Amino acid sequence: MSAPILQVEKLTKRFGGLTAVHELDFEVREGEILGMIGPNGAGKTTTFNVIAGTYPATGGEVRFAGEPILGLPPHRIASRGVMRTFQHNRPFAGMPVIDNVLVGAHTRFAAGLWSVVLGTARRDEAQRRTRAEELVHFVGLGELREADVATLSFGQGRLLEIARALAGEPRLILFDEPAAGLTPPECARLGEIIRGIAARGIAVLLIEHDMHFLLPLAQRVVVLNFGAKIADGLPHQVRANPAVMDAYLGSHAAAQ
Amino acid sequence: MNAIVRGVGAFLVLSVAAFFMSDYHNDVYRKLLLWVTLALGYNFLFGVCGQVAFSHFAFYGIGAYSIVIFLFQLHLPFPIAVLCGIALCVLFALAVAIPSTRLEGFYLALATLALGQLFVVVLNEGGSVTGGTGGIANYRLPELFGMRVRGPWYTAVIVVLLLATYAVLVRLDRSWFGRACRAVRDNPEAAAAMGVDVARTKVIAFTLTSALAGIAGMVYAFVDNTVNPPIFGIENAFLLLFMVIVGGAGRHAGAVIGAVLLFLLPFWLSPLVGHHHALVFGVLVVAAILLQPGGLVGIYDSLAKRR
Repeated sequence: MSAPILQVEKLTKRFGGLTAVHELDFEVREGEILGMIGPNGAGKTTTFNVIAGTYPATGGEVRFAGEPILGLPPHRIASRGVMRTFQHNRPFAGMPVIDNVLVGAHTRFAAGLWSVVLGTARRDEAQRRTRAEELVHFVGLGELREADVATLSFGQGRLLEIARALAGEPRLILFDEPAAGLTPPECARLGEIIRGIAARGIAVLLIEHDMHFLLPLAQRVVVLNFGAKIADGLPHQVRANPAVMDAYLGSHAAAQ
Repeated sequence: MNAIVRGVGAFLVLSVAAFFMSDYHNDVYRKLLLWVTLALGYNFLFGVCGQVAFSHFAFYGIGAYSIVIFLFQLHLPFPIAVLCGIALCVLFALAVAIPSTRLEGFYLALATLALGQLFVVVLNEGGSVTGGTGGIANYRLPELFGMRVRGPWYTAVIVVLLLATYAVLVRLDRSWFGRACRAVRDNPEAAAAMGVDVARTKVIAFTLTSALAGIAGMVYAFVDNTVNPPIFGIENAFLLLFMVIVGGAGRHAGAVIGAVLLFLLPFWLSPLVGHHHALVFGVLVVAAILLQPGGLVGIYDSLAKRR
């Protein structure tokens, strides 16, 4: 079993009187796809935003590669190797596809501002561009490399989000409901891409609403309800867990 | 290599032209080149980075006044006066940018508008240091290596300034920094998730473009050999904004086209409307914002695409 890359301990997030996440513990290991499911309002996206640094935590600890990251601003967390996708695609509208991906590689440029001004940063730029082109091909947007992002379909926009996140050379990638809004063939393709990412040794934390998409994909699953973990384990164990059925389908269905 | 050939070619064409002009036309030409230089820098700040700042022209004035004061009031040697002038622009830019870029766009506009107004007040009230309302005059560019650059040769210096500014801005724009600036403009939260330090990127862009405006101001100081408060009034800050919007914000070509058009338009319009060309500018800007947000470059793009 590989080493944990992300360790979340007793993570708590309160918004005023509302406890969105309560003493949550879990870990993600290198090259693993960890699924996180739960009904609407279970605290999945809040957990995600706290890990990515968008919201401050109320309590608990998050360690990435052994070092605490709670309290760091989002750009510092990204530069350490935690990249994310957005549930609602957020491309940079004024740029073609390839430049969007290059923004994802922002923290990986070696040349400083002075060498840019003096014109000695060309090799660095060319290397990053080649790498970004590989990623554009990896997600299947090769032919749209120079396209204006406004012309992309929703599904293509989601693939762009993934290429952009990969360009940051993450050790952990956070997917926020990546299957939301995709057609069934797009979902199948997305599943392949996520498996391919994990096969590169990158840890994947996958937040998903849709169990049919998540369960065949994830190696382990954490189930949240009302901000607390109600189950975790292998996908088939979680599927058979009465507490999970209760949360998803209501207690009446579980009793039957 | 190619870029060097093109740069030398552009330098030759733009500066040789000055040797075939009358003194009057040379003067108009120099100011045109300076406006293009300023518009290029302002386009990077406003168009590429999305910062609505009205201080760009004030930094032009800070550069112009500081070189004159350092050289002729404090009698510093020329290279040191230039370095001190740049340092002063950087310091002022940091002092404005660090507090105001942390706030949202509207507050940057207000803070920089205040700086622009305050600068003119300081010039008027500056006593013997700034020369008060009359400004400072009757100075000349110091001799360098026993020679004094003058006439069309000084125009060639302005061409170098323009091309160097252009080269710096194009390189920045095509680098990770330029993409970070555009990302911050389009979607700051997503930019931060990609590892872009949003506040730092804004401060660097503001400081860099302000310093470029200051350097242009230093060159301007020896065009008319006089600096006085009305030259650096706030209406020129708006004129810069108009140039960039009419030409096409976010595009270097747009800044050049907008600056050339709005600089020359009053010359053509004055027989028709006298001094009321600001009315025509207003109509142009409103038309650009409502009908063609891409500006004149945007019109060219859509025509080229159709073909």
